[in-house]
Formats: sequence, C-alpha cells, structure tokens
Amino acid sequence: MTNREEPGCIEAGILENALVMIAVMEKSGTILAWNQAAEKITGYSKEEVIGKTTIWKKLYPKKEYRDTVTQQIATILTKKKYFENFETIITTRSGASRIILWNTKESSHKSGPLVVTVGQDITRLRQLDAFRDSVIENANVLITVMESEGKIAVWNKAAEEITGYSRAEVVGSRDIWKTLYPDSEYRRTVTRQITEIISTKSYFANFDTKIRTKTGASRVISWNTRQIGEDNQRYAIAIGRDITEQKKAEEALLAYMTEMAMRIQQPVGIVRDNLQDIAQLIRDGKLSKDEIAMLLDAQVRNAAQIGNNVQEFQKAILEENSEIPEAYRKFLEG
Amino acid sequence: MAFIVNPDELARKRLFLILATPGNIRQCNTDLIKEVSGLGYHTVVITTNFPYTILTKLYGEQGVDLTKVSFIDAVTRNSIGSAVEIPGIVRFINNPANLTDMGIAVTEILKERSGQKVCILFDSISTLLIYLSSPNISKFIHFVTNKLRLMDISGIFLATEKGLDPMLMNQLTTFVDTVIDSG
Repeated sequence: MTNREEPGCIEAGILENALVMIAVMEKSGTILAWNQAAEKITGYSKEEVIGKTTIWKKLYPKKEYRDTVTQQIATILTKKKYFENFETIITTRSGASRIILWNTKESSHKSGPLVVTVGQDITRLRQLDAFRDSVIENANVLITVMESEGKIAVWNKAAEEITGYSRAEVVGSRDIWKTLYPDSEYRRTVTRQITEIISTKSYFANFDTKIRTKTGASRVISWNTRQIGEDNQRYAIAIGRDITEQKKAEEALLAYMTEMAMRIQQPVGIVRDNLQDIAQLIRDGKLSKDEIAMLLDAQVRNAAQIGNNVQEFQKAILEENSEIPEAYRKFLEG
Repeated sequence: MAFIVNPDELARKRLFLILATPGNIRQCNTDLIKEVSGLGYHTVVITTNFPYTILTKLYGEQGVDLTKVSFIDAVTRNSIGSAVEIPGIVRFINNPANLTDMGIAVTEILKERSGQKVCILFDSISTLLIYLSSPNISKFIHFVTNKLRLMDISGIFLATEKGLDPMLMNQLTTFVDTVIDSG
C-alpha cells in the first residue's frame, strides 16, 4: 500500500478494501498511499499515482477550477489542520466527472506529518438530489416544506406562480401564512380545522382553503400534507393543488343543473297543474269553447317554450363540452 | 277571519313573497284579491298564467268586487294573437318574456292610480321561469320592487313553494319585506 513503510496487515487491509477512496500523502502533496476504491473511482492506478504529485492536475485538469479548489483548501487550512465535507468535481481517466466529498485528517509520523484524505463518491447521491429538486421545482402543484416551527424551507416554482410570492420572500420565514390568509377570522378557522385534523392523524388530505395571492386574487387550494424526518428534526411537506378553475366549473355545473331543474321540471309541473285546473273548470261547466281553446293554446305555448328551453340547454352543453362523441352531438343538436 | 297578509304590514306598504303549493296557488290568488279588496285596496293583477277573462269570471263567482281589480295580462295575446285593451281594466303584454313592456305597463298603471290605495299582485314568478332565466327574473323583480318602494305601493308576489332554486330564492327574499309560506 505504501512505498515508504509497511503499515500493519490489518490496517492495510481495511484501507485497501474500504468503499471510499483513501489517499495518504505528504504535506507537499506527494501521494504515499492510494487504495483500490481510489483506483476504481478515478481510473488511475497506484503505479501512476504513488510517489508523485501529478494526480491532482489530472483530477482537476482545468486550471481555473484547480486554482479555485486550491484556494478554497488553502483558506480552510489557515483556520484548521483538516477539512470536512469539502465537495469538488474531479475528472476521471475516462473523462467522466465525479462529485467527491472530501474529509482529511492530519496525522504525525516519525518521518513527518501525513495527511489522510478520504473521498466519498457522492455523484449518484447528487444526481438523486438534483432529480428530486427538479421534480419538486417542475411539478405543477404547489410544494412547500416546513420546519417544525412552520418556517418555510422549500417553495417551488408552482408555489411562486400560484401565490405570486417568490422563494426569496418566503423561504426562512413563517409569515407567508398570514399573507396568504389575511382575514384573521378565516385564518383562525383554517388553523382550527388543521389542528383538529392533525390531532387525529398526522396528515391531512384534500383539505380545501381559499388563499389571497400577491395580486389580491382569490385561489382555491386543495392541500395534502405528510410529516417527514426523524423525531429531532421533523418537517411537514405540503402539496397544494390549485383547484380554482375546477371549483368554478363545479359551481357552474351546479348552477346549470339547478337552472335546468327550475326551468324544465318546474314549468312542466306548472303546465300539469294548469291543465288540471282547466279540466276542473270544464267539468264545472265554467268555460265557454273559446275560453277552453284559449287556455289550452296558452298551455301549448308553455309546452313549446319548455321544448325550446330544453334545446337551449342541449346547445349550451354542446358548446361547453367539446368531448361529446359525434353520435351524441348529432342527437343533442336534434 | 285569518289574513294571509297582515293588514298593518300592507298598510305600511310592505312587499310580500307568498309561497303556495301548486294545488293551492289559484285559490291563494283569489283569497288574496278578496282580502286586499276588502281592505279597500285597488289590486293590479299581473297575470302570466291565466287570461284576465277567466280570472274575472272566477273572481266574480267568489264575490270579488271587480271594480277594485285591474289586470296586466301577459297570456291572452300570447294565446290568441290579439286583444283590445280596456282602459282602467286591462292592459295586454304580448308574452310573459317581454319584461320591458311589462315594466312600462306597471309604471303607467301606477301613475294612473296615483293617490289611490293600490296593491300589486304578481301571479306568478314560477310561470315566468318558463320564459326567462332566473338572473333575468331576479333583475325584473328587483326593478318592480324598487319602483313599488319609490311610489310607496304595497306588492304581493306569488310563487309555488320549492319551485325556486336557493340562489333565486335568496335574492327574492332580499327584495321583499316578508316571506309567507301559505302551504
């Protein structure tokens, strides 16, 4: 493992077979040890690396980036003799980029101080983070993550678009809820409802509230939440779907159906009652032929108007819904 | 005798919405005419359901003083095409959907009877639903009730119970002073 001095067999085995890359080097940067994981991650063999300082130029081939990393390391080392969780992007022998999380430890040795450097390949982890961030960011639903005190930790693009409040205005603060629910009475009601739900289960589903956006518009949001994290660090993730248009459509449908019931069912009842009245008047001999004809004519006109109303409703249905199959469309068009 | 509308409220020029069952609405109309006439009012009946000739006959049979009743008839011309108006007794509207003409007729009759004890009886809001959407009905009733209040005239609007959707019902309730469910 090292060309300077053989360490104990056990230690050597551990270093050699560790799943993280481990390099031991002199203060000058000369590599003394380079384990299998280091070989595997970087693509550079022990023979190419040990006894030399050239590996760093290979891992950071772009001078500008290399200078930046060097500068950062130098800054850290002015304050302490090691660095923790220092993240860089290396270029492997094959030209691929890998993200490495570095931790170092200085140890003294009879030949002089040595630096043990442990590098964890977190490329996959970062890819997953980026993927998760991208999903959150590009979801067309409002996503926010709150810390235990209600402070906002995440506020995605849809949240910005729906509410009008930017991430900069929201993250790190808990004031957004007061802003979204400016009416204190309504805010209290919502808070009470949420508390009631949370007291029986730790989440709520399809909980609708009305928020006020930055432009002053009102939007209806359907909320779903989940608790995430450990006991000492709990978060609540809230997903809000803007159902304003859906609500409007539901209200319109309800209004439409009510109007239809009122203007078809009710009038049919009126014609029926009128005809009953007319029949009774005829039986009682109170009407002349002309009067009977006039009354019946009036009911015929009423019936004709109800028929026209039905056609109007059918037309309205066709205009509102483009997905009605052609056969039904023709039938409804009469 | 029990009154459908409170005479004191009528005297205070209140506006009433009376809900009746379909089977009872015709009798309710006649009872109201008798009641209001008996209190010394001239009643202007706006009829959208039965022609004035039939109503006159029915009122006469029930002992209503016909000199105290006049009509705005939105049925006859719609049924037989033409009818000659009789000043002071009947005005005709071509059809119940013609709210402009109905509004003009109400205004003119009220002017003619200015200074008299007059009560308007609208029979019925439910029949208007055959010809008009509920927003238009609401606007028209709002117009008429405003006119009645400005001219200090009492008014009674008849409708069949459970025949109006909650939204229209709410609106009508705000236009009138009292809602009576006559059963």
